[in-house]
Amino acid sequence: MNWIQHNWALLLPLVLGACGVWLMMPGARSIRPLGGLACLGALVLGFQLVAGSRDVSGSMFLVFASATLISAVLMITSRNPVYAALWFAVVTLGVCGLFLLQSAPFLAAATIIVYAGAIIVTFLFVIMLAQQAGTSSYDTSSRQPFCASVTAFTLLGLLLITFQSAAAQQTVDGARATEVAAANKALDVQMKVETLDIHKSSRPLPSEELGQMRGLGRSLFTDYLFAVEIGGTLLLIASIGAIALAPRRAQGTL
Amino acid sequence: MSSMFSTLTTFAADAPAPAESGGVVSLVLAQLPTVITIGAALGAVLGAVSYLIYVERKLAAFMQDRVGPNRVGPWGLLQPIADGAKFILKEDVIPEYVDKVLFVLAPCIAAMTTMLAFAVVPFGPVDGAPSFMRFIIAPNVDIGMVFIFAIGSLAVYGIILGGWASNNKYSALGSLRASAQVISYEIPLGMSVLGIALLGGTLNIEQILLNQAKGGITQWYVWTQPLACLIFFTAALAESNRLPFDLVECEQELVGGFHTEYSSMKFALFFLAEYTHVITISFLTAILFFGGWHFPGIAEPGSTGLLATGLKFGVLLSKVFAVILVIMLIRWTIPRFRFDQLMGLAWKVLIPLSTANVVAVMTVLQFGWSKWWLTAVSLLLFVVAGAIGVKQAHDALNRSGRRPHAKPETSGGHVAHAH
Repeated sequence: MNWIQHNWALLLPLVLGACGVWLMMPGARSIRPLGGLACLGALVLGFQLVAGSRDVSGSMFLVFASATLISAVLMITSRNPVYAALWFAVVTLGVCGLFLLQSAPFLAAATIIVYAGAIIVTFLFVIMLAQQAGTSSYDTSSRQPFCASVTAFTLLGLLLITFQSAAAQQTVDGARATEVAAANKALDVQMKVETLDIHKSSRPLPSEELGQMRGLGRSLFTDYLFAVEIGGTLLLIASIGAIALAPRRAQGTL
Repeated sequence: MSSMFSTLTTFAADAPAPAESGGVVSLVLAQLPTVITIGAALGAVLGAVSYLIYVERKLAAFMQDRVGPNRVGPWGLLQPIADGAKFILKEDVIPEYVDKVLFVLAPCIAAMTTMLAFAVVPFGPVDGAPSFMRFIIAPNVDIGMVFIFAIGSLAVYGIILGGWASNNKYSALGSLRASAQVISYEIPLGMSVLGIALLGGTLNIEQILLNQAKGGITQWYVWTQPLACLIFFTAALAESNRLPFDLVECEQELVGGFHTEYSSMKFALFFLAEYTHVITISFLTAILFFGGWHFPGIAEPGSTGLLATGLKFGVLLSKVFAVILVIMLIRWTIPRFRFDQLMGLAWKVLIPLSTANVVAVMTVLQFGWSKWWLTAVSLLLFVVAGAIGVKQAHDALNRSGRRPHAKPETSGGHVAHAH
C-alpha cells in the first residue's frame, strides 16, 4: 500500500492508459470516445512526469512524443487495417522526429526510407490486395483485448519503474559514485584505456559536429565493421533466397 | 518525481532555456527569415508551375506544327490564370462509396511531399549573398541528398491512397502500376548520386555545389560522371512520371491511372505535385552535375554583393530552365515505354550500370588514380550496355523471324520490341 502511495503519479497514467486502450479496442464492448478521453488523460498525466522544459527542443519533444503515442494507440485500435498501416507510418515519422532531436539525422532519414517508404508500403499493398471484399470479422473485434492491454501496460510500467529506480540510484549515489570511482581508479585505468582504444574511431573529431554523416561512416566501417559485414551478408543471403523461391516465368506464374 | 525522469530529457539541456516572456517573441522573430523564405519559394514555385504548363503547351504546339493556346490575353499569356480559375471554380466531386478521408488526404500528401523535398534545394547562391536574401529554406543540412530521397519515398503514399480510396478497379490497377514504377526507380536514382557523394566526400547539396564552383568548369561532375548524370536524369524522369515513362497516366492507351476519379482542385494538386517534382529534379540536375550557379567568367565563387548574387541566381535559373526545356522536348521525341520495358530498364540496365559506376568511383579513389579515368569508364560502360542491348534485340528479331508463330518474347528484352 505504501508503495502504491509512493508511486501513484506513475501508476495512475498507466492504469488510465490501459483502461483507455481496452475501451478503444474494436469489439462489442468498445466505447471509443470514452477510451480516447482516458488515453488523452493518461498522456497528459504522463507528460507531467517528464521534466517540463519550455524551450524549443522541449516542446518539439512533446509534439513528436505525443504524436507518436497517439498514433500508436490509434494504430492498434483501428478497425480498418489500411488505417492501421497509415497510423503505423505516422508512428515511424514521429519516432524519426525524436531521432532528429537526438542529433541522429541519418538514422531518421534511413528509418523513413526503409520503414515508412518501403515496409509499410508493402503492408499497404498486401492489405489492399487481400481485402477486396471489405473488412472482415477479425478486423471488427479483437481477440483478447483485456489481457493484451493489461500485459502491455504491465510491461510498460515495469520498464518505467526500472528506469526510474536506476535514475534515482544515480542521483542518490551521485556523491558516493565519485568516491568509488576514485577508489577503483587503479583497477579501472587499464579497462578505460582499452575501451578508449576500441571506440576511438567512433568519437567525433574535435572539428566535427555531433551526428554528421562522416563520423557515422567512420564508426560503422571501423569499430562496427564486423556487424556491418554480417548484416550485409544476411541481406545478400535473404535476397538470393527470395530469387530462388520465386518461380520462373516458364513455370506459369508472374 | 520529475527529476527522476531527467534521463529522458537530458537533450533539452543542450539548448539554453530562453527567458519566459521575451523568449517566445525572440524565438518567433528568429524564425521569421525562414517563414519569409518558405513563402517566397512557395509563391515562386506555384507561379512557375502555372507558366511552365503554358510553356509546355506552346512547345508541344511548336513541335507538332500547331499554334497552341492563343485566345486568352496576348499570345495566350493569361491562359494559365484562366485554367487556375477554372480548377478552383469547378464543382468538387467526391464520388459515393469512396473512403472520404483518404480520398481527400491523397492529393494533399502528393503535393506536400514534393514541396517538402524542395526545402534542402538551394535555389540561388547561399554563400556571399546579402543577408536579407536567403536562397535555401533549410540551410546546412548535412544529409541533404538522403533527406530528398527519404521525402521522395513518402510520395508513393499519395499514389497508393489515391488509387485505393477511389474504390475503382482502374484506379487501383493504376496505382499498383505507378507505385511499382516509383519504387523501382528510386534505387537507380539514389545509386547514381552515390558516386558524387564519394567524390566530394559529402551529401550536403550546398557543399557539392561549392566543390564544383571552386574547381572551375572542368570540375563539374558531368565530365567525370556522365553516366551517373544520364542515369539520374532518366530515373528522375520516371520518378516524376513524365513521358516517356508516364504509364501512370498514359491517357492515349489506358484508362487514366490512380487519379481517374479526381476532379477540380484535388486533381490540380496531383498535377501541381508532378510539376513541382519536375522543377525539383531540374534544380538537382543543374546543381549536382552542371555546377549550380557557377559559370566561368560570369559567376565565380569569390564574388559577393548584390550584382554578383543576381548574376548567380540568373545563371542557376537559366540552367534549370534549360533542363526543364529538355524534359519537355523529350516528351514529344521518345515514344512511351511498355510496362515490361520500363521495369526491365530499371532493374536490368540502370541498377547494374549505377552499381558498376559506384564501384569504379571507389576503385579510382582507393588507388588515387586520376579522376578522368572515370570519364573513360563511364563511356566504356555505356558502350558495353548498348552493345548488349543491340545484341539482345538482334537475337529476338532473328528468333521471331524464324518462327513467326512463336510465343511472344518472355525474356523481357528492354531495348527493342521484337515485332
